[in-house]
Amino acid sequence: MGVLENKARARLFYKYLSKVYDRINPFIWNEEMRGEALEWLDLSRDDRVLDVGSGTGFGTEGLLGHVDHVYALDQSEHQMEKAIRKFGLHGSVSFHRGDAERLPFADDSFDAIWSSGSIEYWPNPVDALEEFRRVVKPGGKVLVVGPDYPRSQVMQRLADAIMLFYDEAEADRMFREAGFEEFEHHIQQARPGTPRAITTVARVPEK
Amino acid sequence: MKESLMDIIVCPVDKHDLELAVDEEEADEIVSGTLTCTECGETYPIEDGIPNLLPPDMRDEVEA
Repeated sequence: MGVLENKARARLFYKYLSKVYDRINPFIWNEEMRGEALEWLDLSRDDRVLDVGSGTGFGTEGLLGHVDHVYALDQSEHQMEKAIRKFGLHGSVSFHRGDAERLPFADDSFDAIWSSGSIEYWPNPVDALEEFRRVVKPGGKVLVVGPDYPRSQVMQRLADAIMLFYDEAEADRMFREAGFEEFEHHIQQARPGTPRAITTVARVPEK
Repeated sequence: MKESLMDIIVCPVDKHDLELAVDEEEADEIVSGTLTCTECGETYPIEDGIPNLLPPDMRDEVEA
C-alpha cells in the first residue's frame, strides 16, 4: 500500500499542496454523496461531533445541517483559514490544530467522528482509527471516507507512491486492527467511470 | 477558543490534562495563551483564538 513513508515528507507534501489546491481529491466527493453519508451517521442535533481533517470545511458544512455545533481538527493552517472565512471563528464551529494519529481529546469525548478526504494522507491509518475509537463513546459512530483503490494505471502509480488507497478487504483489516468489530463499507461513485470513494461506518464497541 | 473546551482537550502526547494560562481574552473567547501539560510539561500555544495542539515534532515545519 502506498503509505506516506514518514511524517516529514507528508508535511512537505501538504505545505506545497495547500498553496496550489484546496486539497487533491483522488476521488470525487459531491454534495449528494456527502448527504448520503450523513444519513448513515444518523446524528441528533445536540450530538458532539468531531470532524477530523476538516480542511476547508466541506464536511463541516454538511455536518452543520444535522448538528448545532461541530468540533473541527486539521493540521494545516492554510486549509483552516479558508474554513474560518466560511464559518467564522466564534460561531458553530470550534477549530483546533492537531494530528489525527495523536488526538488532543480525552477518552469518550464525542458522540461521533466524521472524517472525509483525510485518511489518504495519514502515514499510519490504524493509529488514527485507534484514536477515533478512544475518543468516541462506546456505541457511537465513526465515519471515514477515503479513496477506493483506483482502476486506472496512472492513479495506481500515484496510489502506490504517495497516498493511501484501499479496497474493502484492506478497510476490513484496518478497522479490525484498530479494535472495531462492527462496521460496513459503502462504495460511492458520482457516475460510472469516475474515481470511487469508499465510506466506512463503524460502531465503537463497548469497553 | 472557549474556556469550556478545557473539559475535553488533553495533551496529544500523553493524554493528560492541560493547564490554561490566558494572555488575551475578548468577550468569552480566549484569543491567545498557553496550554501546559500537567504531566509532561509540554506547552501548546493558543494563537488567534485557535489552540495549536499539534504534537511538538509536527509543530514547526508544518507552516511558517
